[in-house]
Amino acid sequence: MSKLNKDSVLGTFVIIIGFCLVCSVLVSSAVVALNPYKAQAIANDLQINILKVSGFEVQGSVAETYKKHIDLHLIDVDKGVIADDQVKDVSKYDFRSAAKKPALSEPIAKDDDTAGIKNRAKLMPVFYSKDDAGKVIRVILPIYGQGLWSTVYGYVAVDPQDGNTIKGVTFYEHGETPGLGGEIENPRWQALWVDKKIMNDQGKEGFTIKKNADHQGQGKDFEVDALSGATLTSRGVDGFAKYWLGKAYQPFLKNLREGGIIK
Amino acid sequence: MTEAVKVPSAKESFLEPLIANNPVMIQVLGICSSLAVTSSMKTAFVMGVSVTAVTAFSNLAVSCVRKLIPGSVRIIAQMTIIASLVIIVDQILRAFAFDLSKQLSVYVGLIITNCIVMGRTEGFALKYPPLPSFCDGLGNGLGYLLVLCVVGTIREIFGSGTWFGLSVMQTVNNGGWYVPCGFLVMPPCAFFILGSLIWLVKTFRKDLQEPNEYDTHREDY
Repeated sequence: MSKLNKDSVLGTFVIIIGFCLVCSVLVSSAVVALNPYKAQAIANDLQINILKVSGFEVQGSVAETYKKHIDLHLIDVDKGVIADDQVKDVSKYDFRSAAKKPALSEPIAKDDDTAGIKNRAKLMPVFYSKDDAGKVIRVILPIYGQGLWSTVYGYVAVDPQDGNTIKGVTFYEHGETPGLGGEIENPRWQALWVDKKIMNDQGKEGFTIKKNADHQGQGKDFEVDALSGATLTSRGVDGFAKYWLGKAYQPFLKNLREGGIIK
Repeated sequence: MTEAVKVPSAKESFLEPLIANNPVMIQVLGICSSLAVTSSMKTAFVMGVSVTAVTAFSNLAVSCVRKLIPGSVRIIAQMTIIASLVIIVDQILRAFAFDLSKQLSVYVGLIITNCIVMGRTEGFALKYPPLPSFCDGLGNGLGYLLVLCVVGTIREIFGSGTWFGLSVMQTVNNGGWYVPCGFLVMPPCAFFILGSLIWLVKTFRKDLQEPNEYDTHREDY
C-alpha cells in the first residue's frame, strides 16, 4: 500500500479516528486509575460537612473526630423510627441510588413535592452528634432538592430535645451560579438559620426563606432572608427545606420530641 | 516559510513569554479566567499551575504530531489533545485537591477554551520541534501564573487580609483592626489591577509599546 496521503478524505478520517482513540484511552485510564482517590476525597468531604454542623471542631484528623463524635443510623422516613436492621451495611447505604429504585423509594404526591424530586428513598441516613460523654446533642438530617440549575444537597442539624430548632445548616453539593445562588455556601447566610424553629406553636410549618424576613416581630424565630440576586435558588432551598423538615421528617422529629428515639 | 527556517532556542522560547511577550499582559489573552479565579491565592495558584501543565503538554503533544495533522481539521485535532489533557488535570484535582476543585468549579473545564492554550499550539507548536514547543508552553503558562499570582496577592491581602489563607492583616470581623476592601474580591476589580499592570509594564519597558495605528501629525488628515 502506498503511503497514506494525510490531506485526502480517507487520510483525514484515519488520522482523526486514531487521534480520538489514543486520547480516549488516555482519558479513561486516568479516570479509572484516580477513582479510589476521588472516592476517598468525597468521603472525607462528607465527613468535613457533617462535622461543620455537628457542633464540634476538628481535633487531630477529620476521620478521628468524625469517628469519635458521629454515629450513623438509618430511619424509616414514614414511620419515623430507626431502621438500621433493614439493610446489611448501614455505612454503604446510598439514598440517592435508592431514590431511583421503585422498590426502595416512594413517589411524592405532586402537591407535597415542594422539593421537586418526585421520588424519595424510604430509608434516609441520620447522623447523631455525641459529646464526650456520649450524649446526643444534635441530630443531623440530609436534605436536598431542586435549586435553579441543579439539585442542591445539604445537611441540617436539629436539636434532639425539642426536635424543632435548627442548629446549623451546610450545603455540600450544588451547581448554582458562583457568587449568586452559590452564596448558599456562605457561612454568614447559613448562620441565619441557627435557632430558627421548623414548626410554629399551632403545629404548622413556620420555617421559611423569604424576602424582607421579619427580624423583630412574630417571624423572628422562623424567617430567614432570601439571598439577593438568587431569588430562584432561594425559592428552591425554601421549597425543599419545607418538604424535608416540615413534612418528610416530621414523624421522626415528633418521636424525637417525645423521647421515643434517643433514650 | 521564511520564519520556520530559524527555530527559536529552548531558552529563548521559555523566557520570552514571561514578561516581554506575556500572554496576559502583552497578548491580552486568558483575561476571563484571570478575573474569575484571582480572589484568593490558593485558587489562583492552582489554576496557574493547571494552565501551565496543559499548555506545556499540549504544545509538546501537538508539536510531536504536527506533521501528521491534516491541515483541514487541525483545529479539531488540537482541541482533542487539549480537551483530553484538561480532563486529566481536572480528575487529578478532584482526587487530590477536592476542596479547591470545588472552588474552581467550571474554570478548570474552561481551560479548554482559554485562548492561551489554543494560541500557543496553533501559533507555535504547529511550526516548531517538540523541545522549543514544550518550553514555549511552559513559559506561557508560567507567564499566566505570574500575572495570576500578582493579581491574586493584591486582591487577597487587601480584600480579605489573608495570603494563601494565612492571616496577614487581622480583619475587623475576626477582632482585628483591618477593614477589608470588599471591592477587591469582586471580579471587576481584577480588571483594574490587570489594566494597571499592563500600564506599568509598558511604562518601564518602552520597547513593548505598540506603535500608534494612526499618525496624528500626518498632513493629509
